[in-house]
Amino acid sequence: MLTTLTAGPAATTTAFLDAFAEHDVAAAVALADPQVALVVHPLGVRAGDRAALQTVLTELTTAFPDLLLTVRRVIVTGDVVTALFTIEGTQAAAYAGVVNQEKHVDLSHAWRFVIEDGVITAVSAYWCQQQLYRRLAVKRFDQVAIVGGEQS
Amino acid sequence: MSASPACAVVTEFFDRYRAHDIDGMTDLFSINADFSYVPFELWGKQRVLRGDGKVGTVGKAIWTGFIASFPNLTNTVHSITGNDDGDVVVEADIAGTQQLAWGFIAPTGQQFSEPHLFVFHVDDGGLIDAVTGYWDNAGISRQLAHNEVD
Repeated sequence: MLTTLTAGPAATTTAFLDAFAEHDVAAAVALADPQVALVVHPLGVRAGDRAALQTVLTELTTAFPDLLLTVRRVIVTGDVVTALFTIEGTQAAAYAGVVNQEKHVDLSHAWRFVIEDGVITAVSAYWCQQQLYRRLAVKRFDQVAIVGGEQS
Repeated sequence: MSASPACAVVTEFFDRYRAHDIDGMTDLFSINADFSYVPFELWGKQRVLRGDGKVGTVGKAIWTGFIASFPNLTNTVHSITGNDDGDVVVEADIAGTQQLAWGFIAPTGQQFSEPHLFVFHVDDGGLIDAVTGYWDNAGISRQLAHNEVD
């Protein structure tokens, strides 16, 4: 388990992060309302739902099968919980249009959750796609499928 | 610091940022306040310049340069939540029209508007002692017609 937070909105969030860290996408997604309002800024997702959340998590854990999630902070501000965490992993399949070159990624994330009655009703995910592209050796935003081989 | 006064201080920060009052912005921070703009990375041949340090040194310089490059820089705060420990989380759009070079991005008169998430901490004296920012630099670069990752 990642944290010892066991009550209130923090408990739901940490349960989500625990499941995500264990690559148990189904368990993570089950904590969200079917109509959860999902926004993933770096991927251009503006009005996603639970199915979209499942896709986001599945693509991450599939492309980076050794994905390691490390929670840095969980900040509770009423019904809003903000999780600051890093993900690390080695690419093993195409992700976000980037072909696999087996590059290693370490990337800081900030996810803002809204929790109502123990259920996740909104998620806004922030990370820098430029940092991701840089680590995956992408050279141009308009040609993400073309990568260089020098960067590690 | 309870939630309401802490949120008020942070709200004042964004008001002053919108007014381009950089000295007024930094007056809201403690003397040694921590600064971290996580996506801020400038990769050179032998070093990486990151947006980490102190508000008085790194933060103020970044804000000054940002406003110089985007003279109509503005912000729209969408949500602000706090707790009694002094933590304040803000979702805000930062927007502007580029007039001068910003990092490796040459000015072409393009506009951008990009969602940001900020985490502040306000100390017992009512001053901000830490700020961390998250956003997607790729989104900003694309809007400014800059397609090179580095």
